[in-house]
Formats: sequence, structure tokens, C-alpha cells
Amino acid sequence: MAAVTDSGTAERPARLNSDALQMIVGILVIALTTFIPELAGNPYWSHTFQLVNLFIAVSILQNILLVDAGQASFGQGAIFGMAAYMVGIAFGTHEIGYAAAFLCGVLAALCGGLLFALPSLRVQGFHLGFVTLSAAIVFPEILVALNDWTNGINGISLSFSWLKEPGTLGVSPLSLMIAATGAAALILQVGLRRTVLGRRMVVAALSPEAAQSLGISPGLMRAVAFLIVAAGTGVAGALYPAVVGFVSPSAFKFDLSILFFFAIIVGGRGQPMGPIVGVWLLYLLPNILLAEFVHYRLLAYGFVTLLVVLMFPDGIVGWLEKLRVNRQRSRRDGPILHLDQLFSGREAANKEPGERSAIEVRQGYKAFGKVVALDRVDLTVREGEIHGLIGANGSGKTSLLNVLTGLSRINGGTVLVNGTDISGLPAHRISALGLGRTFQKPRIFPSLSIWGNVQIGLDGRGGDHTQPSALSIDTLRDELEGRSADWLPHGQRRLVEVMRVVLKEANILLLDEPAAGLSPDERREFANLLRNVSRRLGKTVVLVEHDLDLVWDVADRITVLDAGRVIATGTPTEVARNPAAQPLFVGSKHA
Amino acid sequence: MDELAIILVRGLSTGAIFSLIAMSFNVVYSSSGVLNFAQGNMLVLGGLAAHLLLDSTSVGSWFAMLPVAAIAIGAVMTVQGYVTLLPMRFQQHSESWLISTMAVSVIIGATMLLLQGPIAREVPSVFPSFRVFGTRTPAPYALAAGLAVVWYVALRWFLRRTLTGLAISALSQDIDAARTAGLPVRRLQLLAFTISGLIIGSAGFVAAPVLTITGESGVKYVLNGFIASVVGGMGSNTGALFGGALLGVLTMMTTYHVGGEFQNLLALLLLVGVLMIRPEGIFGRSSARRV
Repeated sequence: MAAVTDSGTAERPARLNSDALQMIVGILVIALTTFIPELAGNPYWSHTFQLVNLFIAVSILQNILLVDAGQASFGQGAIFGMAAYMVGIAFGTHEIGYAAAFLCGVLAALCGGLLFALPSLRVQGFHLGFVTLSAAIVFPEILVALNDWTNGINGISLSFSWLKEPGTLGVSPLSLMIAATGAAALILQVGLRRTVLGRRMVVAALSPEAAQSLGISPGLMRAVAFLIVAAGTGVAGALYPAVVGFVSPSAFKFDLSILFFFAIIVGGRGQPMGPIVGVWLLYLLPNILLAEFVHYRLLAYGFVTLLVVLMFPDGIVGWLEKLRVNRQRSRRDGPILHLDQLFSGREAANKEPGERSAIEVRQGYKAFGKVVALDRVDLTVREGEIHGLIGANGSGKTSLLNVLTGLSRINGGTVLVNGTDISGLPAHRISALGLGRTFQKPRIFPSLSIWGNVQIGLDGRGGDHTQPSALSIDTLRDELEGRSADWLPHGQRRLVEVMRVVLKEANILLLDEPAAGLSPDERREFANLLRNVSRRLGKTVVLVEHDLDLVWDVADRITVLDAGRVIATGTPTEVARNPAAQPLFVGSKHA
Repeated sequence: MDELAIILVRGLSTGAIFSLIAMSFNVVYSSSGVLNFAQGNMLVLGGLAAHLLLDSTSVGSWFAMLPVAAIAIGAVMTVQGYVTLLPMRFQQHSESWLISTMAVSVIIGATMLLLQGPIAREVPSVFPSFRVFGTRTPAPYALAAGLAVVWYVALRWFLRRTLTGLAISALSQDIDAARTAGLPVRRLQLLAFTISGLIIGSAGFVAAPVLTITGESGVKYVLNGFIASVVGGMGSNTGALFGGALLGVLTMMTTYHVGGEFQNLLALLLLVGVLMIRPEGIFGRSSARRV
């Protein structure tokens, strides 16, 4: 096995992750634990593993929500319970068919998912975690309170004997459905990471600003993630009454939500095998070892979780995965991104700046409380030019950039991007007008390969999906696929971001202090890159930068900001002569 | 009129307990960004301490045992703080506190369940109940309200007037700057856990006769404390007083007009409402977005 992998990837560095392998092992484990007890005719173990695999499915789905979509929901037990109870009410009390009841259950879970997604639009992180956990605490209380429908604390009994009869392959349809749910959850997790949607979720989770600048609506991504996960959790929940034969409020206490969450942490967040290891360790093992001491189970899983947090902060599977990655890290490669990749196949066309304006700010005004960040700013950036935006710290450069990208709104004046008035447009719509930006701190997503990091730009292209003008995509993919972005040096990270916006087919590039942290050599190369992006690809570049030498080196025109006001604008020579701009040049050769 | 008086008096005094939880939350939160999920269990442990320490109903022993209970819970929380802060030295796992405090909460709850079963421990009130606006009010409620004010004033003085308190306040503003300035960050954070334990321990002791002292009730208390804290504004003690009072009155109104079983649901709705309209809370500072 190892030999095959090695020969197949002789020139390639370490595999980025072991997702595919973990998925296969996971599906095997679920399949074996489904088939062996049933074929051996042991009802105790078949029942136990039905529950275990059901919990695993829910936990895997929560793993997707927590890691890939970045949403801390600790109340998944309530979603699970909503589906289970809906089946109980529809099938048990009202005696409608199981298929219809099943559908009702999934619908109930979807409603729950929507309820959870609502606060996620406003709050994130532990705030969201506590809100959802609160919902899980309140859920059983509501079940008791709604006595008329739920039969209160006694719950509802159901009979599903026909689902438990051995069918094809000597296994009951119920076990098959549960195994299929677990396997589907795994396939969803690993598969999603290879789709546009999955990548967009990752970007929206880790950097909402970067997402918006790539035309992604973070709120939409969150809602979609909550709904996908709720649907899957609903399927698992709808199967639960069939396994146990009754539903009661005490089955869906918040301990259940904690179990799903702890299983992820103990196994390893983001790892496909994590929830399997977690549920086995937290639920199955105490079930076997402490069969006589039911009361000690809760205590056991509190202790196991605490120990794992202290000893394996990445979880058990995460720890193994880290060992693997570290072992392969010794084969580290040198710089792999270079300018040729960006311009291969492009003749040295010399595109001069045009006369039309790409960006037009008129009397732009922005205040934060009493602090005026932009004071009636006028700015014109012509198509195809490199426009330097300079000024001291706090002079309003980044504020202006944020206004241009829609991350903040101006209080007065107008902003035109490619001729369209952008005031009132959300950031991800402005991005679709052909705007791309990089950030002071490069937004690199470690869970994606280098190619994935560049590819999210490609995903964000507007309507036409023709071959991008600038690049030979296939070559780039071959060179960058499967390489971890985690170890990229800083200068290369800048390049990744620039490549990303070029691939996005943005025709206006806003670069926020791109030279910060670059070595002199890297700066020279970066200047070269900017000239090429402008002259060979014909892009408009707005360059916010403190390195005046770099700005004077590459910019066609320069605007100087001071205390939110434009104090000088023009060609580099004009600005250098402007007395108002002199204080900038202390210690610089342009004085 | 009578009903309104009952709702207000009971609401405000239950709210005082929520305020105390919220304030003990705040001390730890502002020094280390940790929201101690086990804070509700600590309150219950404070109540348990009253159950174990008070064998007579003499007022003298009550006053003698109050600091003992507070210090005991303070010590427990110092140990918890040490365990919680241990893995946080590695920056990338700075969210480990979420899981470790939840795990501690589960452990305390499970241990109590093992030792005493699902039956609640009773603590008789040392002081007689009295009448406020014609409403019979158990003394522990009034004592809790008094204690909330005492701790509010004490914290205000400590955080603004003493060098150590100012250092803890500095942590809440910029932890890296504080570290660079040479402040013993870990020790201060540990101290914050101790202070938080003193607050919650004394609160549990004082309110013991009106608390539900079981392994499972801690979660309900931490939920209410968290809601009080968010409504008032995370990290603000003034907000904690206000949020607790608001939540307490709302809880009592729900009990009277809708039914006690909907208490927590209404509290949850209040939480979601505040987060949707004003996520930083009533007295919270909104922070500028950084790009």
C-alpha cells in the first residue's frame, strides 16, 4: 500500500490529509459493526451498534458544521430529538405511515436547523455555542410542557418489529439504513471538501471579509451549512424511535448534545474518523466496562474528555494525523510559486493606462462616532493604472479600502466602481463588479491545499466560465494540488492572494500593504509582479503601502491621505514636489 | 397590585442570584476570555457547603462559616483555573477552555449525582422570612440582593483602585500588551479564577435555602447567569446587575402568567432577542471590526 502511494507520487510532497483513507476505514468500521452482530444473531450487540452508529452519524455531521462551516452549534441533540419526536407523534400517536412520518421528522429537524441558523447571522463563536446549548437544555422541558402532543414525561411507545426482521443479506432494513446514514455522512464530509460549496464554507468560516471580497455571502453559507447538517441529523433522528421503540424527554437531555460535541473533540475536530473514535471511547467503552455501574458513565466521559483535552489537544485521530504530517514535513520544498506561473503564454503586451476611470470617489465621507475617518475624499483611479495610496497610520487608507470593497459604508458622497454606484450594495455583490482585494494579513486557509487557496478565486468568477485569460489553469493545478499551504513563507502567501484575485478575473486589484514583512529581494520581485499584472494583464491596481520606495518605483499616479483628507494627488514627480506631501518623506530619497 | 409586588420582589431577588453568577463570570472572562461553564455547578457547591457546614441554626455560626464556604469554593476554582489555563499556553488551542470547563461541569454534576442521587439537599434558613410590600419573602433572597450589591462595590473598588485590580483590567483590554509590559499574566488569570470562586461560593452559601442543590441543577444556573451576562453586556458588572434583575423579573412574570415550565424558554427567547438586536448587550462596548 505504502509502496504504491510512494511510486505514484514520487515527485509530490506529502499528501495534504488522509481524508479519503479515513473515510474508507470509517465506512468499513460502520459496515463491520452493522453486519457482524446481526449475522452472529446477537440482538444485544446489534442494538448497541445501531445506537452507536446513529450517534456517529450525528457527530460526523456536527463535525462538518463545526470545522468546515465554522459554526459552533452545541445543541445538535435537540435537532436529533425534534426529528425523533416528530416521528413519535406522527407514527406513534397519529398512526400515519412510517415513510410519511419519517419525512415529517426530517422537516422538523430542518425547522430546528433554521432556528439555529438565525442567531448565527448575528453572533458567532461561543455566543452561538451557548445559544444552541441553551436550546438543547430547554428542549426536554418543552417536551414535558407540551403534554397534549408529546404525552409528557411518559413519552410515546412505538412498534417497528417489521423493520427489525432480517431481510436481504441477513441484516434488518433498520441496520442497513443506519449504516447507510453513517456512511453517507462520511462521504458528505469528505466530498464536500472537494466542491465549490465546501471551499466557500471554509473561506466564509475562517474569514468573512475574504469571503465577501470573493463574492461569497457568509450568511448564506452559514444557513446552507445548518440546513444540510440538520437534514442529515433529521434522518438519524427519525431512525432513532425505530431502534429504541419509544421516545421520552429524558432521552434528549442536554447530555446527548454534549456527547455529540465531546465525541468530535476527543476524536479530533475535522477528522472524518474522529467522531467514530469519540463515540466508541465516550459511549461504547463505558457501556461495556461500566455495564454494572450505570451511574459512573457520565463521570467517565467527563474525565475522558478532560484528559484528552489536556493530553491530546488535537484529539486522538488529530494527534495521529499530526504525527503523519510531521514525519513527512522533512521533505519540505522550496518556493513553488513564481511569476512565470502567472504569466506563462502571455506575450509581453504593454498595456498603457486608459482614460476611463475604474474607481471614482466623490466627496466620500465616513465617520466612526466623532472620529472622521474620511473627510470629503475625491479619488479617481484610471483603468489599467497602478495607483499608490499613501499616508501615515490612521490617515484613512484602510478605511477607504473598506469603503471601496463594501466592508463598511460611507455616510456621504458617492463611490463608482466600473461605472456602477456601489453605495448600499453588500460586499459580495460589489466583488462581482470585478473587484478583488488582498489583506494586510494574507488570508491563507490551512485546510485547503495551495491550489485550493488559489482555486477559491476561480470559484468566485462572475458569469462566464471560459478559460481565464491569464493562466494555464491545468499547469497551475498540477503544480499546486496536494501541497499544504501551512508551510508557505510569508512572501509566497502574498503571491497566493494575488494569484487568487487574478484568477477571480477581477479587473481592479486592491492591495492592502502587500510589501509589509517582505525581504528586500521579495520586494523587488513583488514590484515586478505588480508591473506585470498591470502592463501584461491590463489590471487596475490600487496599492496601499508604507514602503514609499516601492510606491515610487511602480505607481503611475499617487494619492496622499492625511487625517482622512486628500492632500496631494498626481504623478510621482508631481507629488514629490508638492509641499503638502513633504512631511511624508522624512528619511526617504524622494525628499 | 399584590401580584405585581410579588413579581417585582421575587423577580429582583432571584435576579440578584443571576447577577452574582454573571459577575463571577465577568471576572474570569475579562482576564482570560474564558467563560466558565462549570460556574453553575460552583454555585451549587457553595450551597452544598452550607448544607455540610451549618449543623445548627445559630446566626453566629452562619457568619463564621460564610467565609469558610467562600474560600473553599475559591480554592476549588483556583484548581479548575489551573487545569483550564494549562492547555491555553498553546495559542492555536485557545478554545480548549470551552471543552475543559464543560468537562469539569459534567464531572461535578456526575459526582454529586453519585453521592446524593437525584434528591435535592435541603438547607434551612437561619434568618426568618419577612414581609416586603405585603409579600412574604424568604430572607436568603434579601441576603442575595445585598450580597450582589456588596460584591459589585467591592469589585469596582478592586478593579479600579488597587494595583492588582488594575492589572487584571489591563488584561481585558490587551493581553499581549500586558504581557509585554511584564505583568504576570498567568498568575493574574489564576487570581481572577480565585476571586470568581469567592463570589460564587459566597453566593451559593447565602442563597442555599432557596437553591436546588442537585447534580443536574448547575446547568440551569449557568444558563441563567450567562443570559444575564449577555443581556447586560459581557464583562460589564453594571450590566450584570441590570441583566440579572431583568431576567429575574421576566422569569417571575413567566411563572405567573404562562407557567413555570416555560421559564427557561422565555429566558432563551430573551437571549436570542438581545443578541439579534444588540449583540454587545445593553452596557457592552461594541468593538470596531478589524480587517
